Amino acid sequence: MRLLVLAMLVVFTGCTNIPLQTRPKVPATGQPLKTVAELGALPDATAKSKAAFAEASKVLTHARCVNCHPPDDSPRQRELHEPHDPPVARGLGGFGSPNMYCPTCHQLENVEGTQLPGAPNWHLAPIEMAWLGKTPAQICNQLKDPARNGGKSLEKIVDHVTNDKLVGWGWAPGGEREPAPGTQKVFGELMAAWAENGAVCEEESR
Amino acid sequence: MTITLDVNGKQVEVDADPKMPLLWALRDVLGLTGTKYGCGEALCGACTVHVDGDARRACVTPIERVADGAKITTIEGLSPDGSHPLQKAWVAQCVPQCGFCQTGQIMSAAALLKRNPAPSDEEIDRALAGNLCRCGTYLRIRAAVKSVGGAK
Amino acid sequence: MTALSRRDALKGLGLALGGLVVPLRLARAGEAAAAAALAPNPFIHIAPDGLVTLVCARSEMGQGVRSSLHVLLADELGADHTTVRLVQGDGDEKYGDQNTDGSTSVRGHWKALRDAAAQARMMLTAAAAKQLGVPVAELDAHGGAVHHEKSGRSAPFAQLVADAAAQAVPKEPVHRPRSELKNVGTELPLVDGPAIVDGSAVYGADVKIAGMLSAVVLHPPVVGAKLDKLDATKALAVPGVKYVFELPSPGLGPKGFKPLGGVAVVATNTWAAMRGRAQLVVDWLAGDRAGWNSQEYDASLSRTVNEKGSSIRETGDTYAALETATKRISAEYHVPHLAHATMEPPAATAHFDGAKGTCEIWASTQNPQAAIKQVADTLGISTSKVTVHVTLLGGGFGRKSKPDYVAEAAFISRLAGAPVRLQWSREDDIRHDYYHSCATQRLEAGLDANGKIVAWLHRTVFPTIASMYVPIIKSGVAQEHQQGVLDWPLSIPNVRAEKGPAYDYVRIGWLRSVHNVNHAFAINSFIDELAHARGVDPKDNLLEVIGPARIVTTQELGIGDLPNYGASLTDHPVDTARLRDVVERVTKASGWAERKSDSKRGYGLAVHRSFLTYVAVVAAVAKDEATGKVRVDEAWICADAGTVVNLERVRSQLEGAVIFGQSIALFSQITGKNGSVVQSNFRDYRLTRIGEAPRAIHVEVVQSERAPGGVGEPGVPPVAPAIANAVFALTGKRVRELPMMKSGLV
Repeated sequence: MRLLVLAMLVVFTGCTNIPLQTRPKVPATGQPLKTVAELGALPDATAKSKAAFAEASKVLTHARCVNCHPPDDSPRQRELHEPHDPPVARGLGGFGSPNMYCPTCHQLENVEGTQLPGAPNWHLAPIEMAWLGKTPAQICNQLKDPARNGGKSLEKIVDHVTNDKLVGWGWAPGGEREPAPGTQKVFGELMAAWAENGAVCEEESR
Repeated sequence: MTITLDVNGKQVEVDADPKMPLLWALRDVLGLTGTKYGCGEALCGACTVHVDGDARRACVTPIERVADGAKITTIEGLSPDGSHPLQKAWVAQCVPQCGFCQTGQIMSAAALLKRNPAPSDEEIDRALAGNLCRCGTYLRIRAAVKSVGGAK
Repeated sequence: MTALSRRDALKGLGLALGGLVVPLRLARAGEAAAAAALAPNPFIHIAPDGLVTLVCARSEMGQGVRSSLHVLLADELGADHTTVRLVQGDGDEKYGDQNTDGSTSVRGHWKALRDAAAQARMMLTAAAAKQLGVPVAELDAHGGAVHHEKSGRSAPFAQLVADAAAQAVPKEPVHRPRSELKNVGTELPLVDGPAIVDGSAVYGADVKIAGMLSAVVLHPPVVGAKLDKLDATKALAVPGVKYVFELPSPGLGPKGFKPLGGVAVVATNTWAAMRGRAQLVVDWLAGDRAGWNSQEYDASLSRTVNEKGSSIRETGDTYAALETATKRISAEYHVPHLAHATMEPPAATAHFDGAKGTCEIWASTQNPQAAIKQVADTLGISTSKVTVHVTLLGGGFGRKSKPDYVAEAAFISRLAGAPVRLQWSREDDIRHDYYHSCATQRLEAGLDANGKIVAWLHRTVFPTIASMYVPIIKSGVAQEHQQGVLDWPLSIPNVRAEKGPAYDYVRIGWLRSVHNVNHAFAINSFIDELAHARGVDPKDNLLEVIGPARIVTTQELGIGDLPNYGASLTDHPVDTARLRDVVERVTKASGWAERKSDSKRGYGLAVHRSFLTYVAVVAAVAKDEATGKVRVDEAWICADAGTVVNLERVRSQLEGAVIFGQSIALFSQITGKNGSVVQSNFRDYRLTRIGEAPRAIHVEVVQSERAPGGVGEPGVPPVAPAIANAVFALTGKRVRELPMMKSGLV
């Protein structure tokens, strides 16, 4: 009540002038990601591999990545992994179901002036490659398991994460989305360092 | 820049920026106003058209992506005289209230029936999940689609 | 066929120049000269060839006026409603108040429209009596002709028009017996259906005139913020952008329907204008409204509602009765601000003609007369220089009765020196609405030793709509409190209702059923809470609170006066028999008595009278096995609206009301941060989607020949509390704050 009277006084006397700004939108910046060099001197290959993966997992567990690696049939969106709205289903090959195929809306690039994300080949990762809700150690073991990594060799995986355009979208997500940490190049180098040093995984805690 | 589009079976020249969304090319340049602006973000489905037979949200589709041969169908081209079975069912069952979303609803339903001629309620719900209706005509939409598709 | 180009024979009528003319199945193709036509009043025109043209002077926004009102006219007149021509009336005083609002289209115009039609019928009949040489009393008009049953002779309207036009217009038109209105109360065809489904129907944004430019506006981020600095360099560099204009701030004083000010971007097409707008660099200066933060604001409402307020309704001595009660039960409820979110965002096309000093407008507006006035005010010209043509509305719900966007279009057209089509984006719509008033309410009841309810205290605190017109008013007014607080029949000896102050940070408006949304939610939820506290079946408890069938007087209510939605209490009393009746009907239809055998679903019941219509709802909710979230599975809605015209449109309005109410209950809310609205589009202002709609909605409309009540709005209020009560029945969780999504229930 007292607040109200105060507020009314302010309005009628018109004494406040709070500055506000409208500016053209600029892309959000992502969190930092250490380069392999920045990880410092490490005693052995195992330590190097683990450290590289630990750093890379900042990307692997980021919303830009896990949102399209769900363990069920719905992609997620935004930082809190909310279910995709409008509701869509995984469908055949992760490209959606009739009338609600990914390209019904998503384009080959983010659409200017909108929040709508887009990149070539926009679709969900296969369900066996689900990362959402998993620990880095679980993701690490999954990445080495051909049954859960799309039958890829480690080299193929490194090449994929370093060069794929859909993966690369994570660093230029458009809209108000936070990009994945660092750059795709640094992430690719970390993954390469992990692989080259034995692709060592931390033990899964459960 | 002039871009050639195939709209409702006709080749039309559109003098516009290649990034212009199809919605605005249809509405502002070609005068096809049956395709509606509702959100500009592919969230409401009011702008639904067909591109090569499948539903697409015109408000987020740059014209450069549908140039050179892609077959675009708008509500004006769904049937020559409003006689598509869905259009007839929509009138017979008095589906529309304000009607603003209904051209998008019909375009979505028509694309669904091409893929799935006899959809169940669940399949209709899934396929029309991207089409909002503020007046709340959803139950009649379901009924009208089923009356055309034949209930399972 | 849409008819923006049909500047046809109606010119002679002064009707619809460039307005929306949708011919029904035309009786004949020929256009007739207006000279010898029969046109006793602005609503009816019968051409010499017998073609009947009827005017719909209300805006069509989905509620069905264009499929209803002409049928009433045609029935009273004796014309075949399927062969008349229907014309949309432009904004003009001659039609009386055209504000399509308050669910008044039928209830408020029932008599006037019948008068209009009866006048024409009496003139035709008098002409026929002369021509056929028979007494007027032996004649009857139907099917477009006047018939003399005794002799089997008849005279079609075409034969009578000239003679009828020579008759004096009857000052006291006599209505037919109600039983002769054969089509009234039946299921009638959807007039605009064919044009809607083939895409030719014309809405506000579909108007195109020669030389037209497209405009969008960057509105101030906070209500009342003033433009300080503008850099339009980048915006003007966008291809297609022609002009960037500063728009004047509305300044101090009532906000009313004034445009918000800001920056207009005018371009050769809408997309270029939107693209240009995104490049604007603007500094604003905001007043104290930048202090709006929902969490703090809601907390302040809660503090206010826990203090004693000023009495607006009083019988007995409630505070004393609470003191001596054996048991006291209280609860606080909150409904957030809501946006209208019509599927068609506001749009208007304006052509300011500098040479003539006139402004011609095409707009989806609920209130063309207010639009004329606001355009004239904004441009500083006479209302006689402004014409407003009403298109179809892609939804209204109260938003489009405020013509701020129409005046904005007119102002920009004058600046641009060209016709301009203004398009609000969805973000504009969600962020710069006239919001449904949020409300915090506290209810408390006292039970005696036998568990009887002996005291009822209801406090309601909300920012008032009146603040838009008289800024100094900071608490609700009677027209708002009548919406559920003053008029709810309570068979309780001690009743007190209080109001408290609330600051209006945003523009407050009316949204489909207005404060009834808030009040029906709190009252019906609280009555359900009392049922569980007392161990009584919610239906029996509800009927006990309403009390026996009776006409409830203002004395019983404990109020001086009841605005009663502008109707007299003689024609439209608060009738508990009708309230009880819809409860009985809806519980019977839904199998309420056997609901316990439905182990998978919870049932909730609510009832409310608003806009002179009585509506009860039962909702059945179920839990999604996979997600654990609640979904509305089925709903039953029963309405007693008195006489209805188009039963089919009434049913569709009630079906729609369930979905609209479901969005309110489950999904929608507007919140503020530093004075700006947080939500921006359908991603964060959520509405019910098709998969979330109930599997079935069962509608019952009470057959009645009583005076008509409203239809567009009254279905909404009981929906949210019925769902909330059903959620409690299913989960044991009491919903006191909307939307339920906020608490993770859905």
